[in-house]
Amino acid sequence: MGLFLNTVLNGVSEGMVFAAIALGLVLVNRATGIVNFSQGAMGMMTTFVAYSLLSGGIGYWPAFVVALAAGFFLGAAVELIFIRPLQGKSPLNPVIVTIGLLVVLEGIAGSIWGVTSRGFPPAFSQRGLRIGSTRVAFSTFDLFIVAAVIVLMAVMIAVFRWTDVGLRMRGAAFSPEVARLLGVRVGRMFTLGWALAATAGALAGLLAAPISSFGPYYMDLNLVYGFTAAVLGGLLSPVGALVGGLVTGLCISLVGGYLGGNLEPLGALALLLAVLMARPQGLFGSAKARRI
Amino acid sequence: MLQVDGLSVRYGAVEALQGVSFQARDGEVTAVLGANGAGKTTLLRALSGLVRCRAGSATLDGTGLIGRQPEAIVRMGVAHVPEGRGVIPELTVEENLRLGALVRLRRSERRDAIDGIYDVFAPLRARRRRPASSLSGGERQMLAIGRAIVAKPTLLLLDEPSLGLAPTVVAHTMELLRTLSGRDGLSIVLVEQNVRSALSVASWALVLNLGRIVVADRPERVNEDADLRRHFLGF
Repeated sequence: MGLFLNTVLNGVSEGMVFAAIALGLVLVNRATGIVNFSQGAMGMMTTFVAYSLLSGGIGYWPAFVVALAAGFFLGAAVELIFIRPLQGKSPLNPVIVTIGLLVVLEGIAGSIWGVTSRGFPPAFSQRGLRIGSTRVAFSTFDLFIVAAVIVLMAVMIAVFRWTDVGLRMRGAAFSPEVARLLGVRVGRMFTLGWALAATAGALAGLLAAPISSFGPYYMDLNLVYGFTAAVLGGLLSPVGALVGGLVTGLCISLVGGYLGGNLEPLGALALLLAVLMARPQGLFGSAKARRI
Repeated sequence: MLQVDGLSVRYGAVEALQGVSFQARDGEVTAVLGANGAGKTTLLRALSGLVRCRAGSATLDGTGLIGRQPEAIVRMGVAHVPEGRGVIPELTVEENLRLGALVRLRRSERRDAIDGIYDVFAPLRARRRRPASSLSGGERQMLAIGRAIVAKPTLLLLDEPSLGLAPTVVAHTMELLRTLSGRDGLSIVLVEQNVRSALSVASWALVLNLGRIVVADRPERVNEDADLRRHFLGF
């Protein structure tokens, strides 16, 4: 029973990290209709920015905020420099560019900070919380992960649903030409979508770093799981991304806990295949909305 | 008033518009007729900035339109209802209207403006929270026109509003256009394949053929000219 509980709790906090990555993928897919394979690498870069600040003696929270801001600007820059010029051509082109960007960013990070893995401090204690007399595998930091990602999702939903800028973003995403005819600056909305996605990615990077072996490549596997989560959720829905993240986290944690850690990626793959065969549009997607 | 002089558009080797000149007066409907490929849609897209012009000018109340981005032209008071109506099906009725009101109206004016549209198009009020994809063809037409006029434009460009609608709905739409132009002093440029309907509301008619204006005359005269109808309008 103890193993089961701890495996589930572990799955929840890991799943929330995947959900944060999936939320970024959903934002980019909603804004520009492509899958951003550099989502994880962008989060890795901004986490290294935080790492440098922390090494320089800056406090955790200032470094945290700077990393999120760096994500915002990195996302905007990537859209403007690499994605915008490819607009109107095959949607495969920008997707391939994001794969290239993944490799380039990891190379840059490796050459600046080295390729060895190192520790990254958590925002809060990683000691398991005490429930009654037993200690469970769920720490204050895990609690922070869950809360941060739920807040991220809630903010995303609120912005899309209730604000003017959210309405402009949705209009631009669904019908760019019609949105232009209504006076929406569509290009700016795409840039904003990428900027917000990379901010979500920066958060994911900061949350994942203390529970992974932090280095230039630590987001690769997280991206695979985040991608699984996003596809499970239909690639367009923030709630879908969160639920997809949880399901993926639980699946991986249970596979790892009961069958062995080496089988975790296989578990994710099996889950992905099962969902795609049963519901190709994802758990929360509509059939029409699927683009990949 | 819209004043167009010598407007030319080229798609690759194809001259889509060649030296098109006309006026569209305030408070009037100007019908633009012609066969498929005559350049009617291109004319509207050029005026709203969606296609680049090779030569010529277009001014709205003295301010130049050509060379500006669509987003800027909207802010000058040009509303364009594209072919197929351009309703965004994934958004709700109210969200479509809000999007139409966003750019030109202040936050405090938007609610009244949207309620004003519901007063004109009562069926939309009942469906305000439904996605636009759930609307019938006639209701989508209401939404498209409502969204175009919610921000009180001075020039309304309509691309084939009658397409795919039942004859009674078409008649109703034309009646509405007459009211909008007459009552609000709106200048309307109406591109139509449905020649009879368009001529029934227009004060002035243009016939385009292969990118040139071949006839510019009063609607009754276009209607009476059997040769012209046979040659350029196909009936």
